Amino acid sequence: MGFDLDFALASVPAILGAIGMTLLVAVTSCFGAAALGFCLEIVRRRGGFVGLGVRFLIDFIRATPVLVWLYCLYFILPFYGVRLSALTVGIAGLSLYYSGYLAEVFKAGIDAIAKGQQEAARALGISRLDTVVFVIAPQMLRNIAAPMGNYFVSILKATPYLAVLAVPEMLGAAFDIASDTYRYAEPLTVAGIIFLALALAISQGVKWLEKRLAVSTVR
Amino acid sequence: MSMFDIWSGILGGFRITASVTLYGLIFAVPFALVFGVAQYLTTGFARFLVTSVIEFWRSSAVVILLFVFYYALPVVGVTLSAMTVGAMVLGLNTAGYASQAVRAGLQALDRGQKEAGQALGLSRAAILLLIELPQALRAMSPTFINLVIQLVKATSLVSLITLTDMTFRAKEIAQVEYDPVPVYLALLLSYFMVCYPIALFGRWVERSVNPVREASRGI
Repeated sequence: MGFDLDFALASVPAILGAIGMTLLVAVTSCFGAAALGFCLEIVRRRGGFVGLGVRFLIDFIRATPVLVWLYCLYFILPFYGVRLSALTVGIAGLSLYYSGYLAEVFKAGIDAIAKGQQEAARALGISRLDTVVFVIAPQMLRNIAAPMGNYFVSILKATPYLAVLAVPEMLGAAFDIASDTYRYAEPLTVAGIIFLALALAISQGVKWLEKRLAVSTVR
Repeated sequence: MSMFDIWSGILGGFRITASVTLYGLIFAVPFALVFGVAQYLTTGFARFLVTSVIEFWRSSAVVILLFVFYYALPVVGVTLSAMTVGAMVLGLNTAGYASQAVRAGLQALDRGQKEAGQALGLSRAAILLLIELPQALRAMSPTFINLVIQLVKATSLVSLITLTDMTFRAKEIAQVEYDPVPVYLALLLSYFMVCYPIALFGRWVERSVNPVREASRGI
């Protein structure tokens, strides 16, 4: 049969047409995972019984596959009467899963800020909230920008998992073409190349950001 | 269906999960060592070629790579078993990350190590094998253990290319019994019971390699 280059090129527009869905899933999941991960880390830092529970949850998430989490949410929620679209379940699943990883990133970021910063702010009479917003957060963001960017690339690369839940993102679009024509090789290869290009572009962006921040840190 | 039946059903897939992991490591370890060292030693165009191969395996979405190799290789006349494709793709994807750890570990060594070797009249190969690699690999061992966990978790993907691993078995049971809740929770727990001990071992290694810094608690 051989690899049909013309057919591969013909399938590009349909697959590229689903890039919007891929980016929508990736961007919302990044925000979801960052917000949830920050909350998890704050709760974990406060300690106590709840903190211990969150600590275990983070460990548990990180010791289990993302695919299984997606299946869990997708098949278990309707059983309890919660009916959500596959897209919502997918975004929720990726957000929840990667929040476990981002919590660790926030932990490292907060740990790296010298305690003296907080004490100095207090000595100057800056309020607690202002200390977090204007002293701690900017320094933390600079510390964590690079690892956070790497996890955002991971989230992008995890979006094709949602094809398993029939979300029409790029891999889903490639499979649609494949099952219509019984030719799998070409559309899947095209999807692979587009994903690779996207991931490389974003990780180059992260590297550039990392360099910029390293320059601005030099005193 | 009793809890016992569910557990023994999922356990029936453990052999495949373990095999894909072990075969994956057979691909991953040599690739990571050779390409990590090559990226460290080469310059110019040779380094560009080495980096390209690493980036292909590291930056591609692993789900898509799995499908592409499973469906596209037969078209160009290469027919591999699902087990081989799974082990190769997951192994080399992990190896892409591991090669970066090898390179970073080598680069982080004090230059004096290499210079002392040269002053003693050792050949470049001897310096690499006897002085640089042992120290770099030791320093990076927690990272390698984390990558093994990533590999175990990634094996859940082979259920999508017809291998009957733990995830495949659980899906099968859930469909037959129409009772997804205990099945998928048991599946999550199964992965946790495999990965968490490895994670604890990794933290212990991290503490012994790096006694001053607090363990980064990575999975």
